[in-house]
Amino acid sequence: MAPLSGIRVADFTWVWAGPFCTLQLAHLGAEVIRVESSARPCVTRLLPPWADGQPGLNRSGYFNQYNQGKYSLALDLKHPEAVVVAKDLVRHCDIVCENFAAGVMERLGLGYEALREVRPDVIMISMSGYGATGPEREYVSYGPAQVPLSGLSSLTGYRGYPPMHVGISYGDPTAGLHAAFAVLAALWHREQTGEGQFIDLSEWETTIAVIPEAIVEHSWHGTQPERNGNRDPLMVPHGVFRCAGEQRWVAIAARDDAEWQRLAHAIGRRDLADNPALATLEGRLEAVDMVERAVEQWTSQRSPAEVTETLQAAGVAAFPCYDSRDLAEDHHLRAEGFFVELDHPEVGRKLHLGIPWKLSGSPCSIRRPAPLLGEHTDYVLRDVLGYDSSQIERLRALGVLR
Amino acid sequence: MPNRSALEGIRIVECGGLVSAAYACKLFADLGAEVIKVEPPWGDLARQRGPFPGQRPDPNTSGLFIYLNCNKRGVVADLSQPSGQELLGALVRDADLLVHNVPPSRMQRLGLDYERLSRANPRLIEVSITPFGMQGPLRNYEASDLVLWAAGGLAYLNGAGPGSDDLPPLKPFGLQAEFQGALNAAVAALGALFARRKLGVGQHVVVSVQQCVASILELTFEYYPYMGLIASRLGQKPIQPLDFFECRDGWIFVCCVEEHQWQQLVELMGHPDWAELEIFRDRLSRARNWDALKLLMQEWMATQSVQELYHAGQLRRIPLAPVSTMGDLLHSPHLSARGYFAVIEQPGAGSTTLPGAPYRLSRTPWRLRRPAPRLGEHTAEVLDGLARGNAWSNGVTLEKTRYGTA
Repeated sequence: MAPLSGIRVADFTWVWAGPFCTLQLAHLGAEVIRVESSARPCVTRLLPPWADGQPGLNRSGYFNQYNQGKYSLALDLKHPEAVVVAKDLVRHCDIVCENFAAGVMERLGLGYEALREVRPDVIMISMSGYGATGPEREYVSYGPAQVPLSGLSSLTGYRGYPPMHVGISYGDPTAGLHAAFAVLAALWHREQTGEGQFIDLSEWETTIAVIPEAIVEHSWHGTQPERNGNRDPLMVPHGVFRCAGEQRWVAIAARDDAEWQRLAHAIGRRDLADNPALATLEGRLEAVDMVERAVEQWTSQRSPAEVTETLQAAGVAAFPCYDSRDLAEDHHLRAEGFFVELDHPEVGRKLHLGIPWKLSGSPCSIRRPAPLLGEHTDYVLRDVLGYDSSQIERLRALGVLR
Repeated sequence: MPNRSALEGIRIVECGGLVSAAYACKLFADLGAEVIKVEPPWGDLARQRGPFPGQRPDPNTSGLFIYLNCNKRGVVADLSQPSGQELLGALVRDADLLVHNVPPSRMQRLGLDYERLSRANPRLIEVSITPFGMQGPLRNYEASDLVLWAAGGLAYLNGAGPGSDDLPPLKPFGLQAEFQGALNAAVAALGALFARRKLGVGQHVVVSVQQCVASILELTFEYYPYMGLIASRLGQKPIQPLDFFECRDGWIFVCCVEEHQWQQLVELMGHPDWAELEIFRDRLSRARNWDALKLLMQEWMATQSVQELYHAGQLRRIPLAPVSTMGDLLHSPHLSARGYFAVIEQPGAGSTTLPGAPYRLSRTPWRLRRPAPRLGEHTAEVLDGLARGNAWSNGVTLEKTRYGTA
């Protein structure tokens, strides 16, 4: 039996951060009901990649990846009657998640105080870019802008180059995972005491939580670490090195002096292994340019796979910079059972990424593909809320269920 | 029960090095769980990373270590020795969770064997944060944070940029793969605690950090299964502006991808003639002609102040963001109004500012209750407790404090 079986979540989230939170709850077996509307579909339903190149609300790989295992209720929250349905849903839910801009749920009549009246022990989390309080709480927050806002960009980049992004809207999943933990902690508290509560989460703050070294340095010295590419203060070499072929790269780290010795021997550079000046971290830091050139001279003649096999056989941390095809075709990840291929009514069987952890005693799995928009409207209204068919038809005729 | 902590009563033994296990346990500790951290005699590697006050390396004042290990007690035990394993065994007999990031190849040797430990305490949940999982053929591969960032597919997505394709894929600052492993482990661990309420027994949780990294590839991974395409860090973005600009006093990130936002930005820039050009008509053409547009915008941006532009843009609902420096964050009026940063008095390091509560639970506070332990600070205290039959600070078990449970 899945850990959260019997727990139901009213999921008002959208884009990436919020749905990534509720994805974790779905992984653990909660019944997650996404409240969506074709009047204002989730941004990720409107973005590629499209299955087989054809656009469509149910055909986006972005949506279908991060909404696996969830249900979908079509409800136009702008319709006055929708608030009643939404509150009925919350009455039957343990948890409410939302990541609209601050204040939107209140304006819809679905703020925490209103929801508490229908479900006194409800746990509600509001995830926003800036949090529910503070002078900038109503500022607009987009995932890509959260990375520079958080401070991560001013610390990330090549030495002497401008600040850089990190490649994805990193604050979104980082906020989503913190949110899932907070919700579960609140649920734990409810199980002990019967009390629900409200959780205020700011994506800005959860992203600062993962750069503590830089915050502490500034608090003590008024400085911050310089952008330094892929280098590390305690590991030399430590970097991403060119391999043979077009844009093929391998990551290598020598975590201590002994690993450096193994690396130098493995790349056939006994001269470097025997050089006492390079035997210590301090010495290699001095000679870091030369050490990196020596490594790249060797890697650039070889494929990432060959480099990795040779170095791993010598006990050196190394791995190719995988692209999406490398991941999709990786035998190890297949043996780990990481991938999910379920029949989706519109896109068929496509490869998706699954759950990155395993529970030995209560196995978790993705039991259904991402929902079509409104796929479970009738199920939710009839089986969860107990509406009869005339009620459902009336709401449908009024245009509430779209 | 005002001020009861959400995770009060949960007992955790941590054998963590660097970030992953330690941050997972910090999330529990800051919400009230009791954590005893077991370190080898040479200490957790995070003690070596710093930063250090006055740049003087000292295992008891590393900034990274302090952040990750406040609220925990620390004991020293050499798990490669029988006496160390005996201490570990005694601690986990009354624990709910054992959380570690010892690689699979060394787990048995250090006594972190779930079968054996669970015989003494069937309610124990062991959480193993591993580089590559424990099933596949690469389970014993060596790894570091950077190596896992590459193995999960994220390194390939960042770095270089138009005209500089020779630069390698680029890691983000810090130990981010480890943080992702930590967050997933914490969620899965709490999941296993809920499962224990149904099953009555614990279980073994195995986290693969490679898979945690692959789980956050945003929309890029699915390009391959859905369209046969491979997302890369190279080439132009499909829509613009989404880029960095240098102002007169720092950097700003211009995120301006909706038409109404662009119109507002054009107005803010004073309606320059070039904004009317056909080649900048919509976000797709702005991306196709980004080299030209970026130069034109940069000229205007260079005259602006970051903070003024940020607020002026936000008043027009343009999601601009400053490229915050640490100083910007520590002096942000918004973050201070929210009371975000936490200050702890750390012996040997003095007053230290740390990232604070990542979430605010209205009834159950996030709290820093004690500084990070000196190496071995609580060894004697914990051994003494064990000798008296209980190493944990309160002898009340979870069951006894439970109220009205399902």
